[in-house]
Amino acid sequence: MPSSTVGQTPSLSTYLKSLKHNDIETSIELFISLLKRRQIRNSRSCAIATISLLLRVVGEVRTRDAQQLIERIRAVGRRLVAAQPREMAVGNIVRRVLENIREVAERDQDPAESDGSITTPSTPPVPGETKQRPALRTKFSEFSPLHGAATLPQDMNARAPLSASSGDSSPAIAGMAETALQRPPLMSSNTSFAPQGPAGSSLFSILQHPQGRSPFATPPAGAQSPALRALPAKGDEGPTSEKLDIKAEVITAIQDLQRELEEVDDEISEFAQDHIHNNEIILTHTSSQTVQSFLMKAASKKRKFTVFHTEAYPNNHLETHDTIVNGSGGGSAEDADERWKPLTSMGITVILIPDSAVFALMSRINKVILAPHTVLANGSLIAAAGSSTIAQAAKTHRVPVVVLSGVFKLSPVYPFDTDELIEYGDPGKVVPFQEGEFMDKVDVVNPVYDFVDAELIDLYITNLGGHAPSYLYRIVADHYRVEDIDLSGGKGEAGGAVKAG
Amino acid sequence: MAANTQQRHGIPDTPFDVVSTYRRLLAEDPDLTMPVGAIEALILGLANTPASTVSETLDLVSKLTAQLKRSIPNPISLSAGTDLFQQYLISNLQRPSARGDFDHIRSHLVQNGRLFVERAKAARETIASFGRHFIRDGNTVLTNGGSRVVGALLRSAAESSNGNARGSIRFRVIYVVSPSSSSGSAEESESTANIAALREREIPVATIPPTAIAYCMDQVTQCFVGAEGVVENGGIVSRLGTLQMATLAKAAGKPFYVVSESHKFVRLYPLGQQDLGIEQNIVDFRTAKGSGSGTEAGQRKEVKDEGVADMEEGDAGVARTVGAACKPEEAVDYTPPHLISGIITESGVLLPSAVSEELIKIWF
Repeated sequence: MPSSTVGQTPSLSTYLKSLKHNDIETSIELFISLLKRRQIRNSRSCAIATISLLLRVVGEVRTRDAQQLIERIRAVGRRLVAAQPREMAVGNIVRRVLENIREVAERDQDPAESDGSITTPSTPPVPGETKQRPALRTKFSEFSPLHGAATLPQDMNARAPLSASSGDSSPAIAGMAETALQRPPLMSSNTSFAPQGPAGSSLFSILQHPQGRSPFATPPAGAQSPALRALPAKGDEGPTSEKLDIKAEVITAIQDLQRELEEVDDEISEFAQDHIHNNEIILTHTSSQTVQSFLMKAASKKRKFTVFHTEAYPNNHLETHDTIVNGSGGGSAEDADERWKPLTSMGITVILIPDSAVFALMSRINKVILAPHTVLANGSLIAAAGSSTIAQAAKTHRVPVVVLSGVFKLSPVYPFDTDELIEYGDPGKVVPFQEGEFMDKVDVVNPVYDFVDAELIDLYITNLGGHAPSYLYRIVADHYRVEDIDLSGGKGEAGGAVKAG
Repeated sequence: MAANTQQRHGIPDTPFDVVSTYRRLLAEDPDLTMPVGAIEALILGLANTPASTVSETLDLVSKLTAQLKRSIPNPISLSAGTDLFQQYLISNLQRPSARGDFDHIRSHLVQNGRLFVERAKAARETIASFGRHFIRDGNTVLTNGGSRVVGALLRSAAESSNGNARGSIRFRVIYVVSPSSSSGSAEESESTANIAALREREIPVATIPPTAIAYCMDQVTQCFVGAEGVVENGGIVSRLGTLQMATLAKAAGKPFYVVSESHKFVRLYPLGQQDLGIEQNIVDFRTAKGSGSGTEAGQRKEVKDEGVADMEEGDAGVARTVGAACKPEEAVDYTPPHLISGIITESGVLLPSAVSEELIKIWF
């Protein structure tokens, strides 16, 4: 273990400092141990640490080949996710980076496409093609990678040609690989649907030509899915300057992502004025930075409203008290520049209530604002314990529930088993260990998180704007690739890498 | 297959009977779904009829499609296949550079008929291989019988080694078997086969009549049903009784999953049960004076006459659908999307709101 952090409690800031002078493997190990020991806790901290780590990993990768870069990130991502599967933000960031890499790789292999468009380019673009709108990636939610490695060949690398389909390899998915060859022909001149990702015309995949027979396009050598197809070929053909671009562009993309993480609170707060009006009574929960800055923005626009703040006992109540009184920076108190004034200093009345009073007071509340730990692909939340009670009370009284979360919290994971996503914390906070006799006779559990069903939520505000729950699938599709949802599946990797830690 | 060498000028579908071909294909292969059977029948029609121009081909396909839809009482499922096929042809054949490729496409389609069937079946296997992720130890699964995909999914979960050789998943199944299905042999034999297969794999299976669904719902962890068609708003058209199960599952807070291949997505937007475009005499009012179709037709005429100035009597559409009414054991109902937790296709789990986007992609 590195000696530079001796004397300090390991945390996000010490980790970021140590990243600068440790080598990669040490940094990864350090991060894994921070995750396992829960010394780095909430979504944003984990996301920031992950992105910094991945930036260094990409910086150090020696290869110019995008495919190898992807493999490297996947390998690192596997380990990180395995260290703490319930910290979904880690996996989300890994998948975002992978998506960026793939997008950069595709953009590179087809320089005829306009830069900055997110279309998945076809093989030689059909002349006379109309403008393509950004690709709709149609693979939406996949299953949870938490338990049991998926045995589907999600790793496109291993995709067999159609005729040689083994038991597991699905010709339907392979069919979509072939559709990549057919992408140009499917875009007739009077339609504007863009070439899709691998699943783009999954409905047509049943009818596509078998691999190898492509009367329309002449694909480059090693024809496979758009994500991979030119990458091996690229390694052989492209001039050095193009390959150099991949790494540099990926680093740029990652830095954009870092900026997004830093600005997420500000961007969400932009929408505060639309949602908070004079004389409203808002209910909120926990000491979330996002919610505080949201409310501060509304207050700074001269709105006068009241805030009921639940205490979030026993896991968060001290931070909540601190936030209300001192306006500290929520969970990451070590970041001195995150401190801001408390809401009360802006003239807003803040009333602290115990969690048990939520239902009784709900009839007087106009709006509930929640900040989750994670948003799952179907719109349901993993949020701090107590959120589910609040959401259900709100539903009973027909109070709108608004959820504030950056896109980095949105996970492409479909929650099949909600129980395994809940993390349990220190039972000593519920019943102190001093009460030994009592503790002997009862089981004490302290769930740190709650599962809030998608139907209880009315609106999601992300840094991209407000969305209805039924629209989240599009955001997932826009930011993640299907093939990255399952990070396992390397040829030589043991499936156990993805098991819950 | 009708052997014919009808020349181009003739009506192509006279010697080639697409309806009987379709029925024959379905009867021969019990694993074939209706949309894929329709595609196969259309391809055989294409093969039988030499056509050398694009518009002739498209015309032929639409004629055959119309014929099929006219003669089958419940064309919703097969229309998913025919629409997909037509759109595929249109999008492929109407490109400016399609001239030389036309023969390619046509020969590809004709030669690879079996391939499409295989792919469709492979889609079912893909979905089945998802099974082990849905079903965990200790779950109790409720399903109404007769869906091949659901049967495959449950069998795969039963056989699975839980991904890491920890042994198979221990779950239980409650099968809803409607007691009146003794005449509906297809459904019953499917259910019986599934039940037997599961029991052989040491999965406890209970069969209950449809009246017991509400009774057993609190023991259930999740529900799986198959669909004949997935409609545009994310709802499904499925065997009669599915809506009931979905409503009860919703009331009890249990997830309700639809398992369907993606070639069953159909471009239909029903607003209610009566809006499916098919004729089903499920609710058949009678009085002692005998009503049957006479009074119904009379009532229908009356209703149509009110307030609708341009409605003619003896509507051709009315006469047509009355003639081709669904048999009771083939009756279907429409389950709206708000009762559905997720649609499991070979691409993964789709939210109901995502279905329309998939459809838009092929239609526009």
